[in-house]
Amino acid sequence: MALFTPNLSFNTFTYNSSLFTLPATRRRFIRCPRSLKLRASLAVDSPSTSATGRGGAAELLLEVKDLSAVITESKQPVLKGVNLTVREGEVHAVMGKNGSGKSTFVKVLVGHPDYEITGGSITYKGQDLLEMEPEERAVAGMFMSFQSPVEIPGVSNIDFLNMAYNARRRKLGQPELGPIEFYGYIAPKLELVNMKVDLLNRNVNEGFSGGEKKRNEILQLVVLGADLAILDEIDSGLDVDALRDVAKAVNGLLTPKNSVLMITHYLRLLEFIAPTYIHIMENGRIVKTGDISIAKVLEKEGYKAISGT
Amino acid sequence: MLTAHSVAISIVSSIIHPPPTALTSQSISSCLPKLIPGSKTRRRTEKARVFTQSPTLAVLSDPHVLLLAETLEDSLQSSSSAPLPPLQKLRDISAQSLLLTPWPSRKDEPFRFTDTSFIKNSHIEPISPSKSRSLASLPVLSDTLLPLNVTILDGYVVDSLSQLSELPDGVFVGGLSSITSEATMKRVSECVPNFQGDLFWLLNGVGAPDIIVIYVPEGCRVESPLHLKYFSLKGSEKDSKTLPISNPRVLVLVEKGGEIGIVEEYTGVDGTDMCYWANSVMEIVIGNGAKVSHSYIQTQSLGAAHIKWTSVRQESTSIYELTEVSTGGKLSRHNLHVQQVGPETVTELSTFHLSIGDQIQDLHSKLVLDHPRGVSRQLHKCIVAHSLGQAVFDGNVQVNRDAQQTDAGQLTRSLLLKPRATVNVKPNLQIIADDVKCSHGAAISDLEDDQLFYFQARGIDIEAARKALIISFAAEVIGRFPNTSVQKKVEGLIRKLLDPTIPSG
Repeated sequence: MALFTPNLSFNTFTYNSSLFTLPATRRRFIRCPRSLKLRASLAVDSPSTSATGRGGAAELLLEVKDLSAVITESKQPVLKGVNLTVREGEVHAVMGKNGSGKSTFVKVLVGHPDYEITGGSITYKGQDLLEMEPEERAVAGMFMSFQSPVEIPGVSNIDFLNMAYNARRRKLGQPELGPIEFYGYIAPKLELVNMKVDLLNRNVNEGFSGGEKKRNEILQLVVLGADLAILDEIDSGLDVDALRDVAKAVNGLLTPKNSVLMITHYLRLLEFIAPTYIHIMENGRIVKTGDISIAKVLEKEGYKAISGT
Repeated sequence: MLTAHSVAISIVSSIIHPPPTALTSQSISSCLPKLIPGSKTRRRTEKARVFTQSPTLAVLSDPHVLLLAETLEDSLQSSSSAPLPPLQKLRDISAQSLLLTPWPSRKDEPFRFTDTSFIKNSHIEPISPSKSRSLASLPVLSDTLLPLNVTILDGYVVDSLSQLSELPDGVFVGGLSSITSEATMKRVSECVPNFQGDLFWLLNGVGAPDIIVIYVPEGCRVESPLHLKYFSLKGSEKDSKTLPISNPRVLVLVEKGGEIGIVEEYTGVDGTDMCYWANSVMEIVIGNGAKVSHSYIQTQSLGAAHIKWTSVRQESTSIYELTEVSTGGKLSRHNLHVQQVGPETVTELSTFHLSIGDQIQDLHSKLVLDHPRGVSRQLHKCIVAHSLGQAVFDGNVQVNRDAQQTDAGQLTRSLLLKPRATVNVKPNLQIIADDVKCSHGAAISDLEDDQLFYFQARGIDIEAARKALIISFAAEVIGRFPNTSVQKKVEGLIRKLLDPTIPSG
């Protein structure tokens, strides 16, 4: 099957590339997943010739080079040279065994203090991401949905969202919204994630069920918007209906401009949110990159079939 | 970071505690030279006084305590009429006990972490009732948060500033002398005192000018909460080493099936650094199936000493709910004693203390369960936000032999926000019954990193995140005030204290 090594740059496969005869918007993939395979093989067969220098090429959004990181406290290495490039409009999925470093990787991207960068670089929108505070990354359009979102007793969900929303408005030089205006803005968004209004007045994640927590993360994504949405196991603990709601909300946000990086263990999520690329992570590195077919092999035969080279 | 703080914690759990090292008469007389009471050399009046009656006892007394008791007694002698029987009884009992009560030192277990020398080293001046001042002109006094309210100035009820017209029939609120019903007076006499506390309790017993009685008859539900507004008008300048003392005393007596909400609010009026000593006692007697929900807000001046006793007796199936927020005072201590006198009682205690300056916030609570199937929930939280600030919590729960199937839970959480901020917590459960469900927990920390990061990950800067989390820490207790206007007022107050730049309300 079509497999890439991670350090191959993906700058060739863009929707706009004239090489692709199939219309390659993502919504297309959702409707007919089979086209993905075709498109991917097309891409493999046609190495970088056209995209370079083309005005229509999607912009580079995130570029991770040889990233290594350790756990701050124990200095134990977790990431050992990760390379990844995400362009505008792309959907990337990272898969891998438990403990392979997937979650660490995305936490490092958003600046989690539990990890310390020991080497490599991350460029986001042309800026050195490692120089940015976590809140600066967030207002610059990076959004991570947490695998297990923390409960914050005493802070209501709507106040929290309002604070976060206003932080972004400030950054954009727009006037902040008061609680009443904000309620008007947020109320229609609840439907998008099929969430009840009363969850807004409850404390952030406090006493939420697993599904409610995930929906709440996606609500935040919908409200705040994101140029790069990072979804850390958004599918774990969700039933099929909830998963469909979440996927619908995520798909609804996708435009040719913004991108998704998601971590998952299951093919199921990828059926709802079609990835442009799938990366397999092993022992702190991305060891394979390819299309949906990798996930299918995984599903059938497990990581053994893919690990190594 | 936690390691940056000097934290003194002692956690004693699930053990039988040795009794506090009280000085007994034998031990003191055998090892100390005979003390000559300070009163002996002082001026005499011809009136017979408790403190001069029994020289044999006086020999064992603490001269400082005697002097103080005498001063208080003198100040009350001037008032014309003889005290009514319940008050006389209270004064007699208190005076007798004071003879054997020394000023507490750091060697006494209940005062191990609480230094009372600030009071001891000050000149204590009793306050006589203010007469001529046009009180209504004080803006703070005209604040009417709740429709039912009583204003208590320096320990004296001011009728002209109280609104009681909406009280239901049969409910009485006022001083002893205003009680017209003989039956009520009889009940009051039976109930005073319901308990005997430490030195400060006794000093209040000697110095209280009156007993303010709140009487709710059988089966009567008072819908609107009763707001007791305690103001300390009289204060001395900072560093003057003088503390005007007030001794307000309240008895809440709720008969079988009755129900009332009490909001106690203590405030200083002039400036924030005025020095005074509020030495207050509230006794609460809750009849069978009756309910008292008690809100207590303490925002005294940062120069004040505030010592408060709350002693509660709960008869069977009664409910007592306390919600407390204390932020004021240089030295503030709440002694809370809840005694179960019948089965199936429910007791809920939620308290929040904030030390924002060079001050001590102390809660000593004791819950004694002697009957089966009682339920108790205690949550104590405190924030120390100053490097010279201190918080103390001693939470004792006794589950005695007959208190089978008791369900008692206690949790204390402390936040230390500055290096060298100190908290001393001593949760202690004494369980003798064998079929009980008891839990307790104590946590001392800075803010949770995970929670801070969650805010940051959504674009909220760390300072704003810290503020929101600190407010939310307090909000858990504030949210338990049953009355929403009280809730809002206290929340605004806490916001203002934690960050003067956040607009209140």
